[in-house]
Amino acid sequence: MNTRTILKALVDKEIISDQQSSVISSYETTRPFSIHWELRSILYLGILFLTSGIGIIIYENIDTIGHQVIIATIACLTIACFAYTFKHSLPYSHDEVKNPNKLSDYVLLLGCTTFLALEGYLQFQYTLFGTRYGVAIIIPTIVFLFSAYRFDHRGALSMGITGLASWLGLTIAPLSILSENDFTEERLVISAVILGIALVALGWLSCEKQIKAHFSFTYLFMGGNLAPAAALVGLFTHPFKIVYFCIGIGLSVFFVLRSRQAHSLLFLLMGVVYGYVIITYSIFESIGSDAAFALGSLYFMLSSAGVIVFLLKYKVFLGIKK
Amino acid sequence: MKKAYNLHWIENLYISQVSSRWRAKNLLTPEQEAQIKVEFPEEFYRPGIFVKIGLFIFATIACSFFVGFISIFFLEAGGDDAFSFLSMIACVCYLISLEYLIKNRKLFHSGVDNALLYAAITAAFVPMFILFEDADVLVYCIFSLILFTLATLRYADLLTTIGCFGALFTLLASLMLKFPLSKALLPFAIMILAAGIYFSIRNNRSLYYADCIKVLKALSLVTFYLGGNYFIVREGNALLNELNLPVSPQIAFAPVFYFFTTAIPAFYVIAGLKRHDRVLFIIGLLTFAFSIYTYRSFFSQLTIAQELLVAGIVMIAAAVSVIKYLHTPKHRVSDEQEGQRKLANLEAIWVAQNLGQAPQENGLEFGGGNFGGGGAGEVY
Repeated sequence: MNTRTILKALVDKEIISDQQSSVISSYETTRPFSIHWELRSILYLGILFLTSGIGIIIYENIDTIGHQVIIATIACLTIACFAYTFKHSLPYSHDEVKNPNKLSDYVLLLGCTTFLALEGYLQFQYTLFGTRYGVAIIIPTIVFLFSAYRFDHRGALSMGITGLASWLGLTIAPLSILSENDFTEERLVISAVILGIALVALGWLSCEKQIKAHFSFTYLFMGGNLAPAAALVGLFTHPFKIVYFCIGIGLSVFFVLRSRQAHSLLFLLMGVVYGYVIITYSIFESIGSDAAFALGSLYFMLSSAGVIVFLLKYKVFLGIKK
Repeated sequence: MKKAYNLHWIENLYISQVSSRWRAKNLLTPEQEAQIKVEFPEEFYRPGIFVKIGLFIFATIACSFFVGFISIFFLEAGGDDAFSFLSMIACVCYLISLEYLIKNRKLFHSGVDNALLYAAITAAFVPMFILFEDADVLVYCIFSLILFTLATLRYADLLTTIGCFGALFTLLASLMLKFPLSKALLPFAIMILAAGIYFSIRNNRSLYYADCIKVLKALSLVTFYLGGNYFIVREGNALLNELNLPVSPQIAFAPVFYFFTTAIPAFYVIAGLKRHDRVLFIIGLLTFAFSIYTYRSFFSQLTIAQELLVAGIVMIAAAVSVIKYLHTPKHRVSDEQEGQRKLANLEAIWVAQNLGQAPQENGLEFGGGNFGGGGAGEVY
């Protein structure tokens, strides 16, 4: 089966005219070969290699090359990147901004990573922020989040969210180094749950209020993995299991329902997997290990068959029309 | 061999995919597209990739615990024979449910059928390994080649296709390694076999096996290149002759392999662009990268960091200049974005994870679990 046979079948069924068929067939024979994604992948890998190389070279030669030279070079690169992005950017809008400039997305990405390198170098060499590591992390986070909204860049947004998470991780982690007990670990778990839920709420809000609605996925995905995963850890290892259970199940249900509105099957998958793990763990935990051992294979066989039936018919269950 | 999936639907599916591509280019009106969907119906159950993943995971769980469940009835028997018998039963059960689901639930590579097929094959392997214990590797190769080929012919599955390819080349290698003369000629034999596979499937237009053919093409191109790659041949030679030297010795016919290492990727890339063959083009780029790696493994004077820096600058410069050059399509090659990016959201997250975060060491880790949000860059 090729273009010619398809066109013949369509003409035979009188769906298209002979004339239209010859237009399509000439389009197919003269169609150019697009190497768009290959070029973008090379560009992206180039940025990755370049910034990795810069990072390692700085560390290796920190004593030999002049600091001013390094700082000046990276700063120039960063400024150039941001200047380019600003120059070619479109005005801010609540909707998705489609920038016709082919490179500005990648230039911004390069600028963000070199900015990180610059800031890291300043902190390493001159301890610019002293021991206030939180400040050192929150500054790039703010820059990224600003760039994400100003230039409509999802990559910068997820870098910003990652920064936010590590900011929480770091300002809390020193306490755990001080005391190293379960209590402080639990604080980490709690803050992960809270941050995750906050991100999910942000994602939900940005969709509801139509403020950069296409960012909602990034928020939901990152928060939606952080919170249930932390809730799982809480459920496994900490007291107040019922709280973690409710949070985890609540999020799973939210995602399954959410997948209907967002038409995103990834959320359906996340909801089902997290929900399944939480429910399975809770059942086995409550019936005790002897019963669990006896019923284990039957339970897993039947329950996963049940999940398969649900997934095969999710459209019916969730009321999605095709 | 009789094909498992409805061939007619596969053709109709292809027609409607092609026509929606034409529709996107305004070559067809929406009414015409709708009419095509009516005239060429297909009823496959084809969920999105994430539901497929979910179905695959849970089908795998169900299959594994199914064995555990039926083994309860064989508890007292014990022994190898009972275990072989058990896995034969499991295999038959999997195959029956696979056929039933394809027929009645209209599955089409939807996760469940993949999982059931793999489970059936795994179950079929068990008696083989128990009955032919300590057999020559040839026996296993021939057995798996037959099994994978039958499965591929019937179900057109990608993983079994890869299995066929792997079994065939393992067979070749284990035969050639038996004699000293053929051992020396192994690279050439591999290249000839790979080229033979490529040319025998190149003009196969079967829709049913379209994806299998793509995979086989990619595999044979890669294998052909690796068979002639200087790095692989030199290191492989040292490994096979059990030379425990710090640096593997120079090989015979080295200039031939230098030539292959340089020429094959260039040929792939040019042929891919000329013939509009994406598989050829992408494999060309990847093998080119591996050739660079080969070169630096033996001749480079730079440190890794400097290499990364240079490679990054060269790649950025090359990509940017080609993008600028292709601002208007040239030589029937364009930089036009075709179709929607289906996974744009995930791409963005992946990009950010790779480009790293925060100058200090960080990351939220509990008990080995790495959270989605805390991925620290490997760079700084």
